[in-house]
Amino acid sequence: MNLIRLTNQKTAEVDLKKTYDAIVVGSGAAGGMAAHVLTSHGMKVLLLEAGKKLDIDKELKSTEWPYQHKRRGEMPSDSHPLSLNEYNIRQPPYAADSKFKHVYSYVQGWGGSDYSKNIVVDEKDHPYTGTNYAWVRARLLGGKTNIWGRLALRLSDLDFKAKSHDGYGEDWPISYKDIAPYYDKVDLYLGISGVKENVAHLPDSIFQRPIKLTFSELKLRQQLKKMNRLLTPYRAGVTTDGLKHNKYRSRCFGRGACNRRAGGCDIHAAFDSPTGLILPAMDTGNLTLRTNAIANAITVDNKTGKANGVAFVDAETGNSYQAKAKVVVVAASTLESARLLLISKSNAHPNGIGNSSNHVGHNFCEHIMGPHITGLVKDLVGKPHTLDDGKPGSFYLARFRNLNERHPDFIRGYGFEGDSGTSMYPGNAGSTPGFGAAYKKTVREYSGAFISMGAFGEVLARYENYVDIDPSVKDKWGIPVLRFNYKFGDNEKKMAADMAETAQEMFNEAGFEVVDLSRRILTEGWSIHELGTARMGNDPKTSVLNQFQQSHDVKNLFVVDGSSHVSASCQNPTWTIMSLAWRSCDYLADQFKKGNL
Amino acid sequence: MADTKEQNAIDECSEGDLTRREMIKLGAIAVAMTGLDRNKLLEAIQNKTPLFFTSDEFAVVDELTEMIIPTDDHSPGAREAQVAAYIDFKLLDSFDEEPRALWRNGLKLIEQLSQEMHGRLFLACTPEQRIALLTRISQNESAPGKPEEVFFKELKSRTARAYYTSKIGIHNEMEYKGNVSLKEFVGYDAT
Repeated sequence: MNLIRLTNQKTAEVDLKKTYDAIVVGSGAAGGMAAHVLTSHGMKVLLLEAGKKLDIDKELKSTEWPYQHKRRGEMPSDSHPLSLNEYNIRQPPYAADSKFKHVYSYVQGWGGSDYSKNIVVDEKDHPYTGTNYAWVRARLLGGKTNIWGRLALRLSDLDFKAKSHDGYGEDWPISYKDIAPYYDKVDLYLGISGVKENVAHLPDSIFQRPIKLTFSELKLRQQLKKMNRLLTPYRAGVTTDGLKHNKYRSRCFGRGACNRRAGGCDIHAAFDSPTGLILPAMDTGNLTLRTNAIANAITVDNKTGKANGVAFVDAETGNSYQAKAKVVVVAASTLESARLLLISKSNAHPNGIGNSSNHVGHNFCEHIMGPHITGLVKDLVGKPHTLDDGKPGSFYLARFRNLNERHPDFIRGYGFEGDSGTSMYPGNAGSTPGFGAAYKKTVREYSGAFISMGAFGEVLARYENYVDIDPSVKDKWGIPVLRFNYKFGDNEKKMAADMAETAQEMFNEAGFEVVDLSRRILTEGWSIHELGTARMGNDPKTSVLNQFQQSHDVKNLFVVDGSSHVSASCQNPTWTIMSLAWRSCDYLADQFKKGNL
Repeated sequence: MADTKEQNAIDECSEGDLTRREMIKLGAIAVAMTGLDRNKLLEAIQNKTPLFFTSDEFAVVDELTEMIIPTDDHSPGAREAQVAAYIDFKLLDSFDEEPRALWRNGLKLIEQLSQEMHGRLFLACTPEQRIALLTRISQNESAPGKPEEVFFKELKSRTARAYYTSKIGIHNEMEYKGNVSLKEFVGYDAT
């Protein structure tokens, strides 16, 4: 492998006198895609990232063994990950008055947290208020794509036209046929692994080499076929065959490190925005990157009401700057984008820019998580250990509720993510009772014989679930913070009850002995799939953006991240975020050339 | 035997980026926290003695961890994997005082129970007597109530964590085959 390493990347100074064609705020999946597409159309783009530029390969150390690390991969002891109980019992801001030097979200409680401690934000610097919410944020070049779970799924018309299907909420202003060509482009440009299944509500991508299943997963897949349900190998946003057009990314070598910690791939086989999108965009010569640039206002020309740039604070010096552009593209993540729109108040836009509908921050939705199951596969007990985790993911079990029939208790659906077999750390070491030779032997003989899965369900978009700006609390840089007014509703709770029932039913059918079944719902936010705070729609009174993620109010303002999603679906959103951003930025570049912005 | 273990513990802890100087700094923190004499602690590090435990405590912890995960015909156990040394380091390193107190009190409870059951120090007991003691405190593992039961859970949890993340635990015991570059994914096609 001769990868071009991130440390070699070029940097350019921001020219604050210049008026860029576009400023993109945020460098994650959406912002990276905007930078890629706009620069490929020849536009001069300034990319502002609030976080730092890390030497990510040195952070991740993907193949380091636990015993090579002084704390076996754990963070320094003065750093604390929030626990489920803390999220539920206490009220945000969760890090207030903590005796620990650093406080992080729950993902830092996983093994290997030392490798991601500089990737996720320190809750002490980034408070929020309101209802309980586990808000996981990554502030650095590439955002959460540096540690994402890599499950890359398409949505279908069952999602885009969900209202037509069951009467609830709003349809998206696009159909599957509008976005399908862009899903194809994303597949080919970034690489995705999977197996073609020809299932209408989980459309296939243009797949590279699939990962394989374990014995138990194949058994479950075959059993589920009889129930007309689908278990398919993990559709990973990972290049398994390599990408000839990208010199920054290697193909996947199945090292399995991606399963050991909060994600991250130091050879960039798993998609991340810096190597997948931003570095290639910089190679066009059209992209200027400014990190440590925390946007605190979209500035406005008072005569026209149009956006004319972005004001930002330097994260390290605290100095304020203003950059100018003809178009502003917001891609700061669903919640940060809503925050930026709401705090960008002016005479022309007293409620925040793009918010004449009062819908910014509202219709906030995501995926509900919690119910999960573990089964024992007796055929595997005592068998020699096989290599089961040398892959970027294990399996996905597609939605099967409310497709043709109508469930009496709830609308919409859920899917499961799961895995099985041996892993580096035997998960049964904690749950196996006793001590001594018998304990040791039981852990060894059973450790490869378990299969587990947990559900992700659609949370309905509701106007009354929203974020707004806290009237008094500010972050480390003096910027007003978000206040959450967000709770799961009745539909979600009934759906969660069904998740546990069907999980049990499917494991029973497959002949797995159920050893653990949890019905507990995790705190709002746990899925890290927040969506919908600036939704698209055809009616400017009930939506923020049009079908090209263009503000109804301000025609040179676009919001191209998950905030634009009209409903959450139950499929993971990243591939849709990038496909939509590509479509919208093609439109943006075309309109820009025509002088319509 | 104890000497090599502690040297290895320090070496193993230093395998990351924790330098010896940092270790001494940690030692200084421990002085402040435990009231030990600083010079004694520096001397202890140089003499390769435990960081948090007393030598007597360390010997008991070493035995307890080996009883939980013993050497068998498949692989070496907790003793050879230097589990006690890692627990010792993690306790010194802890930001909270609570785990240190839990261990110090827990080891006292072990000795009390040993006197009560067998009329002698834990390490002076026969192997059968030690097993009888550990059996007694492991009775309510899923819902520990008595302080010695709580200590057993903590002891076992830290032992397992340290053992299965050690070289011996990963390679000899579990025969883990991953973390290598593969030409082809391993497993079954989705048929």
